[in-house]
Amino acid sequence: MTATAVRRARRGAIARFDELLGRPVSMRALALLRVFAGPIVLLHLRPFLDGTLHGRIYRDAFYEPYAAWYPELPRAVYIGLLWLAVASAVAMSIGLLTRVATAATLAIVAYNLFLSTTHFHNNRAYLLIVLALLAVAPCGRELSADAWLRRRRGLPPLDPSAPAWPLWLLRFECSAIYAASGMSKLLDPNWFGGTVSWQRTLESRPQLESWPIPHWAISVLTNRDFHTGAAKAIILTELFIAAGLWRRRTRYVAVWVAVAFHAGIQVSASVEIFSVLAVAVLVIWAVPSTRDRVLRFDVADARQRRLARVVRALDWLARFRVEPGARLEVVDRDGGSCGGGAAAVFALSRLPLTAWFALPLTLLYRRSAPSRRES
Amino acid sequence: MTIVGRRAIVVAVVVLQLGFVARGYSSAHKEFAFQMFPESSTWRADVVRVTADGRRVPIEPSWSGYSWDALVRDRGLQDPALRHHADAGLANQLAFLQAALDWVAANTPRDRETRYLEARVTTWHDADAPRVRVMRSPAREVAR
Repeated sequence: MTATAVRRARRGAIARFDELLGRPVSMRALALLRVFAGPIVLLHLRPFLDGTLHGRIYRDAFYEPYAAWYPELPRAVYIGLLWLAVASAVAMSIGLLTRVATAATLAIVAYNLFLSTTHFHNNRAYLLIVLALLAVAPCGRELSADAWLRRRRGLPPLDPSAPAWPLWLLRFECSAIYAASGMSKLLDPNWFGGTVSWQRTLESRPQLESWPIPHWAISVLTNRDFHTGAAKAIILTELFIAAGLWRRRTRYVAVWVAVAFHAGIQVSASVEIFSVLAVAVLVIWAVPSTRDRVLRFDVADARQRRLARVVRALDWLARFRVEPGARLEVVDRDGGSCGGGAAAVFALSRLPLTAWFALPLTLLYRRSAPSRRES
Repeated sequence: MTIVGRRAIVVAVVVLQLGFVARGYSSAHKEFAFQMFPESSTWRADVVRVTADGRRVPIEPSWSGYSWDALVRDRGLQDPALRHHADAGLANQLAFLQAALDWVAANTPRDRETRYLEARVTTWHDADAPRVRVMRSPAREVAR
Protein backbone atom coordinates (compact mmCIF):
# COMPACT_ATOMS: atom_id res chain seq x y z
CA MET A 1 0.00 0.00 0.00
CA THR A 2 1.33 3.41 -0.90
CA ALA A 3 1.73 6.26 1.59
CA THR A 4 -1.08 8.14 -0.18
CA ALA A 5 -3.45 5.17 0.21
CA VAL A 6 -2.55 4.89 3.90
CA ARG A 7 -3.23 8.60 4.40
CA ARG A 8 -6.56 8.30 2.56
CA ALA A 9 -7.58 5.26 4.64
CA ARG A 10 -6.65 7.10 7.85
CA ARG A 11 -8.63 10.16 6.80
CA GLY A 12 -11.59 7.92 5.97
CA ALA A 13 -11.44 6.22 9.37
CA ILE A 14 -11.24 9.58 11.17
CA ALA A 15 -14.17 10.91 9.13
CA ARG A 16 -16.28 7.84 10.03
CA PHE A 17 -15.28 8.24 13.69
CA ASP A 18 -16.27 11.92 13.63
CA GLU A 19 -19.59 11.06 11.97
CA LEU A 20 -20.28 8.47 14.68
CA LEU A 21 -19.55 10.97 17.47
CA GLY A 22 -21.52 13.79 15.87
CA ARG A 23 -24.49 11.75 14.64
CA PRO A 24 -27.69 13.29 16.05
CA VAL A 25 -29.50 10.74 18.21
CA SER A 26 -32.31 10.87 20.73
CA MET A 27 -31.22 11.89 24.24
CA ARG A 28 -34.31 10.22 25.70
CA ALA A 29 -32.37 7.42 27.41
CA LEU A 30 -30.00 9.91 29.03
CA ALA A 31 -32.99 12.04 30.10
CA LEU A 32 -34.51 8.98 31.77
CA LEU A 33 -31.20 8.10 33.38
CA ARG A 34 -30.99 11.69 34.67
CA VAL A 35 -34.39 11.22 36.33
CA PHE A 36 -33.15 8.02 38.02
CA ALA A 37 -29.79 9.55 38.93
CA GLY A 38 -31.29 12.11 41.34
CA PRO A 39 -32.60 9.57 43.90
CA ILE A 40 -29.41 7.53 43.45
CA VAL A 41 -27.33 10.58 44.38
CA LEU A 42 -29.50 11.02 47.48
CA LEU A 43 -28.84 7.39 48.46
CA HIS A 44 -25.13 8.00 47.89
CA LEU A 45 -25.15 11.13 50.07
CA ARG A 46 -27.16 9.52 52.87
CA PRO A 47 -24.24 8.26 55.01
CA PHE A 48 -22.52 11.66 54.75
CA LEU A 49 -25.73 13.48 55.66
CA ASP A 50 -26.43 11.07 58.53
CA GLY A 51 -23.00 11.95 59.88
CA THR A 52 -23.69 15.68 59.73
CA LEU A 53 -27.01 15.18 61.55
CA HIS A 54 -25.05 13.51 64.34
CA GLY A 55 -22.54 16.36 64.38
CA ARG A 56 -19.81 14.47 62.51
CA ILE A 57 -18.04 15.14 59.25
CA TYR A 58 -15.30 13.18 57.51
CA ARG A 59 -12.37 14.89 59.23
CA ASP A 60 -13.59 14.09 62.75
CA ALA A 61 -12.19 10.60 62.26
CA PHE A 62 -9.50 8.95 60.15
CA TYR A 63 -9.35 10.22 56.59
CA GLU A 64 -6.57 10.46 54.05
CA PRO A 65 -6.48 13.35 51.56
CA TYR A 66 -5.39 12.50 48.04
CA ALA A 67 -3.27 15.62 47.93
CA ALA A 68 -2.11 18.13 50.52
CA TRP A 69 -3.19 21.02 48.30
CA TYR A 70 -6.78 19.80 47.96
CA PRO A 71 -8.99 22.53 49.45
CA GLU A 72 -10.89 21.68 52.61
CA LEU A 73 -13.81 23.87 53.53
CA PRO A 74 -14.89 25.22 56.90
CA ARG A 75 -17.24 22.76 58.63
CA ALA A 76 -20.41 24.80 58.10
CA VAL A 77 -19.64 25.39 54.42
CA TYR A 78 -18.95 21.69 53.87
CA ILE A 79 -22.25 20.71 55.49
CA GLY A 80 -24.04 23.39 53.47
CA LEU A 81 -22.46 22.01 50.32
CA LEU A 82 -23.78 18.51 51.04
CA TRP A 83 -27.29 19.89 51.47
CA LEU A 84 -26.87 21.93 48.30
CA ALA A 85 -26.08 18.64 46.56
CA VAL A 86 -29.39 17.29 47.83
CA ALA A 87 -31.21 20.26 46.33
CA SER A 88 -29.30 20.06 43.05
CA ALA A 89 -29.88 16.29 42.78
CA VAL A 90 -33.62 16.84 43.19
CA ALA A 91 -33.52 19.66 40.60
CA MET A 92 -31.50 17.44 38.26
CA SER A 93 -34.01 14.63 38.61
CA ILE A 94 -37.07 16.78 37.92
CA GLY A 95 -35.21 18.68 35.23
CA LEU A 96 -35.32 22.15 36.71
CA LEU A 97 -32.42 24.28 35.41
CA THR A 98 -31.15 20.89 34.31
CA ARG A 99 -27.70 21.82 33.01
CA VAL A 100 -26.82 23.89 36.08
CA ALA A 101 -28.32 21.37 38.51
CA THR A 102 -26.49 18.42 36.93
CA ALA A 103 -23.19 20.30 36.85
CA ALA A 104 -23.61 21.35 40.50
CA THR A 105 -24.44 17.78 41.55
CA LEU A 106 -21.41 16.48 39.69
CA ALA A 107 -19.13 19.13 41.18
CA ILE A 108 -20.19 18.48 44.78
CA VAL A 109 -20.19 14.68 44.49
CA ALA A 110 -16.73 14.84 42.88
CA TYR A 111 -15.39 17.28 45.49
CA ASN A 112 -16.63 15.08 48.32
CA LEU A 113 -15.29 11.90 46.74
CA PHE A 114 -11.78 13.25 46.31
CA LEU A 115 -11.60 14.62 49.86
CA SER A 116 -10.31 11.31 51.13
CA THR A 117 -9.12 7.97 49.81
CA THR A 118 -11.53 6.45 52.33
CA HIS A 119 -14.48 7.93 50.40
CA PHE A 120 -13.62 6.02 47.26
CA HIS A 121 -15.60 2.92 46.28
CA ASN A 122 -16.30 1.45 42.86
CA ASN A 123 -19.99 2.35 43.05
CA ARG A 124 -19.13 5.99 43.76
CA ALA A 125 -16.65 6.08 40.89
CA TYR A 126 -19.36 4.78 38.57
CA LEU A 127 -21.79 7.43 39.86
CA LEU A 128 -19.21 10.11 39.14
CA ILE A 129 -18.78 8.89 35.56
CA VAL A 130 -22.54 8.82 35.01
CA LEU A 131 -22.97 12.34 36.40
CA ALA A 132 -20.10 13.67 34.29
CA LEU A 133 -21.64 12.33 31.09
CA LEU A 134 -25.12 13.55 32.04
CA ALA A 135 -23.60 16.98 32.68
CA VAL A 136 -22.17 17.24 29.18
CA ALA A 137 -25.23 15.81 27.41
CA PRO A 138 -28.24 18.04 26.67
CA CYS A 139 -30.55 15.64 28.48
CA GLY A 140 -32.94 18.19 29.96
CA ARG A 141 -34.97 18.84 26.84
CA GLU A 142 -37.57 16.19 27.71
CA LEU A 143 -38.84 14.53 30.88
CA SER A 144 -38.07 17.82 32.60
CA ALA A 145 -39.63 20.79 34.33
CA ASP A 146 -37.59 22.93 31.92
CA ALA A 147 -39.47 21.44 28.94
CA TRP A 148 -42.80 21.84 30.75
CA LEU A 149 -42.08 25.49 31.59
CA ARG A 150 -41.10 26.08 27.97
CA ARG A 151 -44.41 24.65 26.80
CA ARG A 152 -46.29 26.82 29.30
CA ARG A 153 -44.56 29.90 27.94
CA GLY A 154 -45.71 28.91 24.46
CA LEU A 155 -42.17 28.38 23.20
CA PRO A 156 -41.42 25.60 20.71
CA PRO A 157 -39.79 22.51 22.22
CA LEU A 158 -36.03 22.18 21.87
CA ASP A 159 -34.69 19.46 19.60
CA PRO A 160 -34.49 16.34 21.82
CA SER A 161 -31.71 14.88 19.69
CA ALA A 162 -28.05 15.82 19.98
CA PRO A 163 -24.60 14.55 18.96
CA ALA A 164 -24.25 10.98 20.16
CA TRP A 165 -20.79 11.09 21.75
CA PRO A 166 -21.87 11.32 25.43
CA LEU A 167 -24.13 8.31 24.91
CA TRP A 168 -21.39 6.30 23.20
CA LEU A 169 -18.95 7.23 25.97
CA LEU A 170 -21.36 6.12 28.67
CA ARG A 171 -21.92 2.86 26.79
CA PHE A 172 -18.15 2.40 26.69
CA GLU A 173 -17.85 3.05 30.43
CA CYS A 174 -20.74 0.72 31.25
CA SER A 175 -19.21 -2.07 29.20
CA ALA A 176 -15.67 -1.35 30.46
CA ILE A 177 -16.80 -1.81 34.07
CA TYR A 178 -18.09 -5.34 33.45
CA ALA A 179 -15.05 -6.13 31.28
CA ALA A 180 -12.57 -4.83 33.88
CA SER A 181 -14.26 -6.76 36.66
CA GLY A 182 -14.49 -9.98 34.64
CA MET A 183 -10.95 -9.67 33.31
CA SER A 184 -9.44 -9.11 36.76
CA LYS A 185 -11.08 -12.35 37.92
CA LEU A 186 -10.07 -14.21 34.78
CA LEU A 187 -6.41 -13.25 35.29
CA ASP A 188 -6.39 -14.23 38.97
CA PRO A 189 -5.81 -18.00 39.34
CA ASN A 190 -7.45 -17.99 42.78
CA TRP A 191 -10.60 -16.42 41.34
CA PHE A 192 -10.68 -18.54 38.20
CA GLY A 193 -10.13 -21.72 40.22
CA GLY A 194 -12.99 -20.95 42.59
CA THR A 195 -10.96 -20.36 45.77
CA VAL A 196 -12.09 -16.76 46.24
CA SER A 197 -15.84 -17.33 45.84
CA TRP A 198 -15.68 -20.54 47.90
CA GLN A 199 -13.87 -18.88 50.81
CA ARG A 200 -16.20 -15.88 50.74
CA THR A 201 -19.19 -18.20 50.85
CA LEU A 202 -17.68 -20.11 53.77
CA GLU A 203 -17.11 -16.83 55.62
CA SER A 204 -20.76 -15.92 54.97
CA ARG A 205 -22.09 -19.31 56.07
CA PRO A 206 -23.63 -17.99 59.34
CA GLN A 207 -25.49 -15.36 57.29
CA LEU A 208 -26.58 -18.00 54.75
CA GLU A 209 -27.92 -20.19 57.52
CA SER A 210 -30.05 -17.34 58.82
CA TRP A 211 -31.83 -17.12 55.44
CA PRO A 212 -34.79 -19.33 54.49
CA ILE A 213 -32.59 -21.60 52.35
CA PRO A 214 -32.85 -25.42 52.52
CA HIS A 215 -29.90 -27.27 54.01
CA TRP A 216 -29.07 -29.09 50.79
CA ALA A 217 -28.73 -25.71 49.01
CA ILE A 218 -26.31 -24.47 51.68
CA SER A 219 -24.32 -27.70 51.27
CA VAL A 220 -24.10 -27.11 47.53
CA LEU A 221 -23.17 -23.43 47.93
CA THR A 222 -20.38 -24.22 50.37
CA ASN A 223 -19.04 -27.16 48.36
CA ARG A 224 -15.55 -26.55 46.97
CA ASP A 225 -16.28 -28.37 43.69
CA PHE A 226 -19.36 -26.25 43.07
CA HIS A 227 -17.19 -23.11 43.09
CA THR A 228 -14.76 -24.56 40.57
CA GLY A 229 -17.61 -24.22 38.07
CA ALA A 230 -19.45 -21.28 39.64
CA ALA A 231 -16.40 -18.99 39.51
CA LYS A 232 -16.08 -19.56 35.78
CA ALA A 233 -19.80 -18.92 35.34
CA ILE A 234 -19.48 -15.59 37.21
CA ILE A 235 -16.51 -14.53 35.09
CA LEU A 236 -18.25 -15.59 31.90
CA THR A 237 -21.37 -13.68 32.96
CA GLU A 238 -19.44 -10.44 33.45
CA LEU A 239 -17.56 -10.79 30.19
CA PHE A 240 -20.74 -11.76 28.34
CA ILE A 241 -22.52 -8.64 29.63
CA ALA A 242 -19.55 -6.47 28.61
CA ALA A 243 -19.50 -7.85 25.07
CA GLY A 244 -23.16 -8.81 24.65
CA LEU A 245 -24.44 -5.27 25.22
CA TRP A 246 -22.68 -4.12 22.04
CA ARG A 247 -24.24 -6.66 19.68
CA ARG A 248 -27.80 -6.21 18.45
CA ARG A 249 -28.53 -9.94 18.58
CA THR A 250 -27.33 -10.40 22.17
CA ARG A 251 -28.26 -7.06 23.71
CA TYR A 252 -31.62 -8.05 25.19
CA VAL A 253 -30.14 -11.24 26.68
CA ALA A 254 -27.21 -9.24 28.08
CA VAL A 255 -29.57 -6.70 29.68
CA TRP A 256 -31.70 -9.49 31.14
CA VAL A 257 -28.64 -11.30 32.52
CA ALA A 258 -27.23 -8.03 33.90
CA VAL A 259 -30.43 -7.29 35.85
CA ALA A 260 -30.47 -10.82 37.30
CA PHE A 261 -26.75 -10.57 38.07
CA HIS A 262 -27.18 -7.29 39.96
CA ALA A 263 -30.21 -8.62 41.85
CA GLY A 264 -28.05 -11.55 42.95
CA ILE A 265 -25.25 -9.24 44.06
CA GLN A 266 -27.66 -6.99 45.91
CA VAL A 267 -29.04 -9.81 48.07
CA SER A 268 -25.65 -11.41 48.72
CA ALA A 269 -23.29 -8.47 49.25
CA SER A 270 -23.17 -4.92 50.53
CA VAL A 271 -22.46 -2.76 47.50
CA GLU A 272 -24.08 0.58 48.45
CA ILE A 273 -25.70 2.08 45.31
CA PHE A 274 -23.91 -0.12 42.80
CA SER A 275 -26.81 -2.44 41.92
CA VAL A 276 -29.42 0.25 41.50
CA LEU A 277 -27.06 2.48 39.52
CA ALA A 278 -25.89 -0.32 37.23
CA VAL A 279 -29.47 -1.40 36.49
CA ALA A 280 -30.53 2.22 35.86
CA VAL A 281 -27.64 2.74 33.43
CA LEU A 282 -28.86 -0.19 31.31
CA VAL A 283 -31.49 2.14 29.76
CA ILE A 284 -28.74 3.70 27.65
CA TRP A 285 -28.61 0.52 25.55
CA ALA A 286 -32.05 1.27 24.09
CA VAL A 287 -31.87 2.23 20.42
CA PRO A 288 -31.53 6.04 20.49
CA SER A 289 -34.59 6.86 18.42
CA THR A 290 -38.12 7.50 19.62
CA ARG A 291 -41.73 6.82 18.58
CA ASP A 292 -40.59 4.62 15.71
CA ARG A 293 -42.82 1.70 16.68
CA VAL A 294 -46.60 1.69 16.60
CA LEU A 295 -48.98 -0.06 18.97
CA ARG A 296 -52.52 -0.20 17.56
CA PHE A 297 -55.40 -1.31 19.70
CA ASP A 298 -59.14 -1.80 19.37
CA VAL A 299 -60.85 0.87 21.49
CA ALA A 300 -63.88 -1.38 21.87
CA ASP A 301 -61.85 -4.04 23.68
CA ALA A 302 -61.37 -3.33 27.41
CA ARG A 303 -58.21 -5.47 27.70
CA GLN A 304 -56.61 -3.76 24.74
CA ARG A 305 -57.52 -0.34 26.16
CA ARG A 306 -55.87 -1.38 29.43
CA LEU A 307 -52.73 -2.50 27.62
CA ALA A 308 -52.64 0.80 25.71
CA ARG A 309 -52.88 2.70 29.00
CA VAL A 310 -50.06 0.63 30.50
CA VAL A 311 -47.85 1.20 27.45
CA ARG A 312 -48.56 4.95 27.46
CA ALA A 313 -47.78 5.17 31.19
CA LEU A 314 -44.64 3.02 31.22
CA ASP A 315 -43.12 3.86 27.85
CA TRP A 316 -40.48 6.05 29.49
CA LEU A 317 -38.11 5.59 26.57
CA ALA A 318 -40.78 6.82 24.12
CA ARG A 319 -40.52 3.79 21.90
CA PHE A 320 -44.18 3.54 20.80
CA ARG A 321 -46.84 5.64 19.14
CA VAL A 322 -50.06 4.30 20.60
CA GLU A 323 -52.97 4.63 18.15
CA PRO A 324 -56.50 3.28 17.80
CA GLY A 325 -56.81 0.55 15.16
CA ALA A 326 -58.85 -2.43 14.04
CA ARG A 327 -57.01 -4.95 16.26
CA LEU A 328 -54.14 -5.28 18.68
CA GLU A 329 -51.01 -4.93 16.58
CA VAL A 330 -47.42 -3.80 16.90
CA VAL A 331 -45.56 -2.43 13.90
CA ASP A 332 -41.81 -2.51 14.44
CA ARG A 333 -39.42 0.11 13.15
CA ASP A 334 -38.56 -2.00 10.09
CA GLY A 335 -42.23 -2.33 9.13
CA GLY A 336 -42.63 -5.91 10.40
CA SER A 337 -45.77 -6.45 12.43
CA CYS A 338 -47.43 -8.92 14.75
CA GLY A 339 -50.76 -9.12 16.53
CA GLY A 340 -52.59 -10.61 19.48
CA GLY A 341 -50.60 -12.02 22.41
CA ALA A 342 -47.33 -11.62 20.53
CA ALA A 343 -47.99 -7.89 20.16
CA ALA A 344 -48.77 -7.49 23.86
CA VAL A 345 -45.66 -9.37 24.94
CA PHE A 346 -43.51 -7.52 22.43
CA ALA A 347 -44.77 -4.13 23.69
CA LEU A 348 -44.22 -5.07 27.35
CA SER A 349 -40.74 -6.40 26.54
CA ARG A 350 -39.74 -2.92 25.33
CA LEU A 351 -40.80 -1.01 28.46
CA PRO A 352 -38.11 -0.49 31.12
CA LEU A 353 -40.26 -1.63 34.04
CA THR A 354 -41.75 -4.76 32.46
CA ALA A 355 -38.96 -5.79 30.08
CA TRP A 356 -37.23 -8.16 32.49
CA PHE A 357 -40.42 -10.17 33.00
CA ALA A 358 -41.68 -10.00 29.42
CA LEU A 359 -38.42 -10.72 27.56
CA PRO A 360 -38.45 -14.48 28.37
CA LEU A 361 -42.06 -14.64 27.13
CA THR A 362 -40.98 -13.31 23.75
CA LEU A 363 -39.34 -16.70 23.21
CA LEU A 364 -42.81 -18.26 23.24
CA TYR A 365 -43.88 -15.91 20.46
CA ARG A 366 -40.63 -16.00 18.56
CA ARG A 367 -42.20 -17.11 15.30
CA SER A 368 -44.91 -14.47 15.35
CA ALA A 369 -42.73 -11.58 16.60
CA PRO A 370 -42.13 -8.72 14.19
CA SER A 371 -38.88 -8.94 12.31
CA ARG A 372 -36.32 -6.68 13.96
CA ARG A 373 -33.54 -4.55 12.64
CA GLU A 374 -31.94 -2.40 15.31
CA SER A 375 -28.86 -0.27 15.46
CA MET B 1 -18.19 21.91 20.60
CA THR B 2 -15.85 21.53 17.67
CA ILE B 3 -15.35 18.22 15.91
CA VAL B 4 -11.73 18.10 17.04
CA GLY B 5 -12.75 18.95 20.62
CA ARG B 6 -15.20 16.10 20.98
CA ARG B 7 -12.84 13.71 19.24
CA ALA B 8 -10.15 14.67 21.75
CA ILE B 9 -12.50 14.25 24.73
CA VAL B 10 -13.71 10.82 23.64
CA VAL B 11 -10.19 9.55 22.94
CA ALA B 12 -8.91 11.01 26.22
CA VAL B 13 -11.68 9.39 28.28
CA VAL B 14 -11.19 5.99 26.62
CA VAL B 15 -7.41 6.12 27.08
CA LEU B 16 -7.75 7.32 30.69
CA GLN B 17 -10.24 4.59 31.54
CA LEU B 18 -8.04 1.89 30.04
CA GLY B 19 -5.08 3.40 31.89
CA PHE B 20 -6.95 3.25 35.21
CA VAL B 21 -7.90 -0.38 34.56
CA ALA B 22 -4.25 -1.26 33.87
CA ARG B 23 -3.09 0.74 36.93
CA GLY B 24 -5.49 -1.25 39.09
CA TYR B 25 -3.17 -4.27 38.86
CA SER B 26 -0.40 -2.44 40.70
CA SER B 27 -2.01 0.25 42.86
CA ALA B 28 -3.35 -0.22 46.36
CA HIS B 29 -6.54 1.79 46.01
CA LYS B 30 -7.39 0.87 42.39
CA GLU B 31 -9.40 4.01 41.62
CA PHE B 32 -11.62 3.57 38.52
CA ALA B 33 -10.13 0.09 37.97
CA PHE B 34 -13.41 -1.65 38.84
CA GLN B 35 -11.97 -4.83 40.29
CA MET B 36 -15.04 -6.08 42.15
CA PHE B 37 -14.76 -8.59 45.01
CA PRO B 38 -11.09 -9.12 44.17
CA GLU B 39 -10.00 -11.42 47.00
CA SER B 40 -11.25 -13.59 49.83
CA SER B 41 -8.25 -12.45 51.88
CA THR B 42 -8.64 -11.74 55.58
CA TRP B 43 -6.58 -9.92 58.16
CA ARG B 44 -6.35 -9.08 61.83
CA ALA B 45 -4.00 -6.85 63.78
CA ASP B 46 -2.84 -6.33 67.33
CA VAL B 47 -2.45 -2.59 67.51
CA VAL B 48 -0.51 -1.17 70.43
CA ARG B 49 0.74 2.21 71.59
CA VAL B 50 4.44 2.11 72.29
CA THR B 51 5.15 4.65 74.99
CA ALA B 52 8.29 6.68 75.61
CA ASP B 53 9.27 4.31 78.44
CA GLY B 54 8.87 1.27 76.16
CA ARG B 55 5.52 -0.07 77.35
CA ARG B 56 3.28 -1.64 74.70
CA VAL B 57 -0.33 -0.73 75.49
CA PRO B 58 -3.17 -2.25 73.44
CA ILE B 59 -5.46 0.33 71.82
CA GLU B 60 -8.65 -1.49 72.85
CA PRO B 61 -9.17 0.43 76.11
CA SER B 62 -9.54 4.14 75.45
CA TRP B 63 -6.61 6.39 76.28
CA SER B 64 -6.31 10.13 77.03
CA GLY B 65 -9.99 10.44 76.08
CA TYR B 66 -9.52 8.72 72.71
CA SER B 67 -10.80 5.41 71.46
CA TRP B 68 -9.64 3.61 68.33
CA ASP B 69 -13.16 2.88 67.15
CA ALA B 70 -14.17 6.54 67.42
CA LEU B 71 -11.01 7.69 65.63
CA VAL B 72 -11.12 5.07 62.87
CA ARG B 73 -14.67 4.47 61.73
CA ASP B 74 -14.31 3.55 58.09
CA ARG B 75 -12.96 0.95 55.67
CA GLY B 76 -13.35 -2.04 57.98
CA LEU B 77 -10.66 -0.82 60.36
CA GLN B 78 -12.76 -0.95 63.52
CA ASP B 79 -11.99 -3.75 65.98
CA PRO B 80 -8.69 -4.63 64.28
CA ALA B 81 -8.06 -7.53 66.67
CA LEU B 82 -10.98 -9.39 65.06
CA ARG B 83 -10.34 -11.20 61.80
CA HIS B 84 -11.93 -9.24 58.94
CA HIS B 85 -12.40 -9.72 55.24
CA ALA B 86 -10.23 -7.35 53.17
CA ASP B 87 -13.12 -5.99 51.06
CA ALA B 88 -11.04 -4.41 48.33
CA GLY B 89 -8.00 -6.67 48.64
CA LEU B 90 -5.13 -6.94 51.08
CA ALA B 91 -2.96 -4.27 49.50
CA ASN B 92 -5.84 -1.83 49.82
CA GLN B 93 -6.58 -2.84 53.40
CA LEU B 94 -2.97 -2.60 54.54
CA ALA B 95 -2.56 0.80 52.86
CA PHE B 96 -5.59 2.03 54.81
CA LEU B 97 -4.30 0.50 58.06
CA GLN B 98 -0.93 2.23 57.63
CA ALA B 99 -2.65 5.53 56.86
CA ALA B 100 -4.90 5.08 59.91
CA LEU B 101 -1.90 4.49 62.20
CA ASP B 102 -0.29 7.64 60.82
CA TRP B 103 -3.47 9.67 61.21
CA VAL B 104 -4.13 8.55 64.79
CA ALA B 105 -0.53 9.29 65.74
CA ALA B 106 -0.84 12.78 64.29
CA ASN B 107 -4.31 13.62 65.59
CA THR B 108 -4.27 12.69 69.28
CA PRO B 109 -2.69 15.78 70.86
CA ARG B 110 -3.95 15.00 74.40
CA ASP B 111 -1.95 11.77 74.36
CA ARG B 112 1.41 12.81 75.79
CA GLU B 113 2.90 9.36 76.36
CA THR B 114 2.66 7.44 73.09
CA ARG B 115 5.85 7.44 71.06
CA TYR B 116 4.35 5.59 68.08
CA LEU B 117 1.61 3.14 67.18
CA GLU B 118 2.48 -0.32 66.05
CA ALA B 119 0.35 -2.98 64.39
CA ARG B 120 1.36 -6.61 64.27
CA VAL B 121 -0.72 -7.70 61.30
CA THR B 122 -1.57 -11.25 60.33
CA THR B 123 -2.84 -11.61 56.77
CA TRP B 124 -4.36 -14.57 54.96
CA HIS B 125 -4.15 -13.95 51.21
CA ASP B 126 -6.96 -16.09 49.74
CA ALA B 127 -5.99 -19.68 50.62
CA ASP B 128 -2.31 -18.96 51.24
CA ALA B 129 -0.58 -19.54 54.56
CA PRO B 130 -0.80 -16.66 57.03
CA ARG B 131 1.85 -13.97 56.93
CA VAL B 132 2.81 -11.64 59.74
CA ARG B 133 4.14 -8.14 59.27
CA VAL B 134 4.69 -5.14 61.51
CA MET B 135 3.55 -1.63 60.64
CA ARG B 136 4.40 1.52 62.55
CA SER B 137 3.28 5.10 62.58
CA PRO B 138 5.95 7.83 62.45
CA ALA B 139 7.44 8.62 65.84
CA ARG B 140 5.71 11.39 67.76
CA GLU B 141 7.12 14.09 69.99
CA VAL B 142 6.21 13.16 73.55
CA ALA B 143 6.61 14.85 76.93
CA ARG B 144 9.44 13.44 79.03
